[in-house]
Amino acid sequence: MKNVLLLEDLPEIRAWVKALVLQVFPQAQISEAARVHDALALVSAVKFDLALVDLGLPDGSGVEVVAALREAQPDVQSVVVTIHDDDEHLFPALQAGAFGYVLKEQPREYFAEQLNRISQGEPPLSPSIARRVIAYFAAQARPQANAMPKVQLTDRESEVLLRVAKGYTLPEIGVQLKLSRHTIADYVKQIYRKLNVSSRAEVALEAQRLGLFERSH
Amino acid sequence: MPCAPTFALAGLRALAGCVALAIGLCGGVAIAADAKAPVRDIRQALAAVADSPQFPADAVAVVQALPDDWSHSRPGYEGTVWYQVTFDRPAAADPEAVLALYVERACSDLEVQLNGRRIFGDGRSDGPVTRNCYFPLLVPLPLALLQAQGNRLDLKVRGQALEHVSSRERAAGLSVLRIGPLAELSGTWRSQQFWNVTSAQVVAVTLFVLGVFMIGVGWFNRRASYLVYFGLLAIGWAALSARIWVSELPVSSATAEFLVSLGIAPIVGLAIAFLLSYARLKRRSVELLLLAQCVLLPGSLAIAGPANLYAVITVWYWVLGLEVLAAMAVYLRVAWSRQRSEFWVMGANLILLGVLLALEVVLEQDSVSIWRRHVLHYALPMLVLVVSFRLVQVFARALRDAEAGRTTMESRVQEATAEIERNFAQLAELRVEQVTEKERKRIAADLHDDLGAKLLTIVHTSESERISTLAREALEEMRLSVRGLTGKPVRVADALADWRAEIVSRLGQAGIEADWNGPAGEIEQLMSARAVVQTTRILREAVSNIIKHSGASHCKVRCTIGDSEIGIVVQDNGRGIPLELDGRLDRGHGMSSMKHRAKALNGQCLVESGPGYGTVIRLTLPL
Repeated sequence: MKNVLLLEDLPEIRAWVKALVLQVFPQAQISEAARVHDALALVSAVKFDLALVDLGLPDGSGVEVVAALREAQPDVQSVVVTIHDDDEHLFPALQAGAFGYVLKEQPREYFAEQLNRISQGEPPLSPSIARRVIAYFAAQARPQANAMPKVQLTDRESEVLLRVAKGYTLPEIGVQLKLSRHTIADYVKQIYRKLNVSSRAEVALEAQRLGLFERSH
Repeated sequence: MPCAPTFALAGLRALAGCVALAIGLCGGVAIAADAKAPVRDIRQALAAVADSPQFPADAVAVVQALPDDWSHSRPGYEGTVWYQVTFDRPAAADPEAVLALYVERACSDLEVQLNGRRIFGDGRSDGPVTRNCYFPLLVPLPLALLQAQGNRLDLKVRGQALEHVSSRERAAGLSVLRIGPLAELSGTWRSQQFWNVTSAQVVAVTLFVLGVFMIGVGWFNRRASYLVYFGLLAIGWAALSARIWVSELPVSSATAEFLVSLGIAPIVGLAIAFLLSYARLKRRSVELLLLAQCVLLPGSLAIAGPANLYAVITVWYWVLGLEVLAAMAVYLRVAWSRQRSEFWVMGANLILLGVLLALEVVLEQDSVSIWRRHVLHYALPMLVLVVSFRLVQVFARALRDAEAGRTTMESRVQEATAEIERNFAQLAELRVEQVTEKERKRIAADLHDDLGAKLLTIVHTSESERISTLAREALEEMRLSVRGLTGKPVRVADALADWRAEIVSRLGQAGIEADWNGPAGEIEQLMSARAVVQTTRILREAVSNIIKHSGASHCKVRCTIGDSEIGIVVQDNGRGIPLELDGRLDRGHGMSSMKHRAKALNGQCLVESGPGYGTVIRLTLPL
């Protein structure tokens, strides 16, 4: 039994995704939303296991919903379902706590396959996203960056990231490092998690610096 | 100031030359006075005090040694003294040679009679006494009046008591008399005349001109206001030195002496004001004191009366001399701590000046023979001249520095202007870029939101698989177009990584073994977003062909990066592309669009294929 949040503004696509989710998880309870506002209302009302979030919505960005979910329901798996495949759109969502992304136009079987993999803890990682993550942690490691406790990648995680950035696929890296597919997937999961933790700390620090933290309470 | 030592050296050299000149001339004069053999020096005479037209026959005459300084021989006396000497015509001399009497100093007026006949003198017996103290006299002795033996010379000297003059130079007296051939004595006379009077005139004129110049310069340059003081000092000095050669004054000698002493306090005041101003120690209070002194000095003289003029003025000489020395000391101390080069030049000069001033004061005490002292007349102003040249030099240097500073400033302004213009241009460029970027982003967003959404709907709602695929491809194309539109230049290494990831994973999903061979080492070149997008399309098409049509089990991709081009070779072991009837490769395989795209990037795409031999696609693109 899975509670699934589906945020998508196009009715046809929402219907298509819904059918597909039901195909992958036949017992899923799907809550649909077409706008950020409705999705946020659902987040505070329903406990989800999986969230499929579109990014470009009429009243805002799906990143807000991803962040709200990460805050309210840390265990939920947020997956970005988008038409954008570039890191400029995806990276903020990943920072906010998304656990992978699926491109909307993919054929049904690929889409189902990827959704399955993500829900089983094997998120995808493209070279351009990997490069962004590397650059992000390199900036965090700089001594003058800020005074917060640093979240650092382990050597193995960095190794995996570097290889992804060079264009090697995850199975290839598994072979190269003599690691199982699951171990590689764990590293990728850790990378996503640390990216989110570090980003959240950064956001909190920034808010504190601006005095927003005090005001919000 | 890299030139300072040179300037200092030049100044020192000038100074040394000046001092050497003074010493040399001094010695020269001394020798010239005694060298002539046929010339006789007369060192004693009969002297009688009487204001009569002739030597008083009845008066008591005493033998008086020459030179006769009245302040010793008859202190306090002021009036007329007759001197009488007798001489024989020199035997060795050429009988036709004109003889002359040379009087180095007769202060302040002389009349000469030879054998009872007046041969020299203005004959004025009343009115202001002619002031000839500085002029040597050369009196030709007319042959007609000369006898072979027992010639009588009567000299009438009118003069003032030392007590009534402001300088010992103008106290009455008569020097040694010399009689000899005119030709020989005239040389001595000319020399003495030059050094005593003419040199003073020359220096005075120079000082005057320099003074005017400096006042002009100082007046218009507030930073060099000390030049005004110095200019006034130079002009004052020039005016004061007129006492040497102006012999006829329409006033009594007492008044004349008073007037001369009036000038001293202002000159000393100006000298001190100059030194302090030059040392940047200008004090209003000091200037007021100096001004007060200019009033105090004549006041004290007036109160003391003409009878005590010399006594009072001597005290003042000491006071003023000490003031000047104190000002020099202050100036030198400042120069030592601020500007060492300036210290040496001005220091040497000022010390010499101080020595000469001390000499002047000592001379007034009569401890040195009065007959040599004319050296001071030009040595002192000469040093003033050196100082003024130094000042001009300093000013000229300041002017040059200012000019250099102005040039530097100008070039800086030019640089700054150029910088501003450059920045402005960059800013404008940036602005254009920003606007363009914003516009591109808007177009991209519109494409995604409208076109993208519609294509996506077609992808997932179309009943036909073919339309779905077409729409999906159109969506991918659109995304690439947007990336080409909005993307920044991409590092070739990153582009290669993206292509590798896509090609290897696509081939892997299709069950085809992929063998990627990329360039080793760091690649720092950049590729435009458009080139990356087009290359992505070409490679995507090639891989699609392999997956769909070739039936290959293996695919090799080789990438090479040159300095100016990138080469990619995609080779499969499939069944190759069948030839059309016209001998061309199958258009359905999208070969023409691949070639077209390569051409658009100024590159080329060669396809080699034969049935059973697989396909090789050689893509070469400029970087």
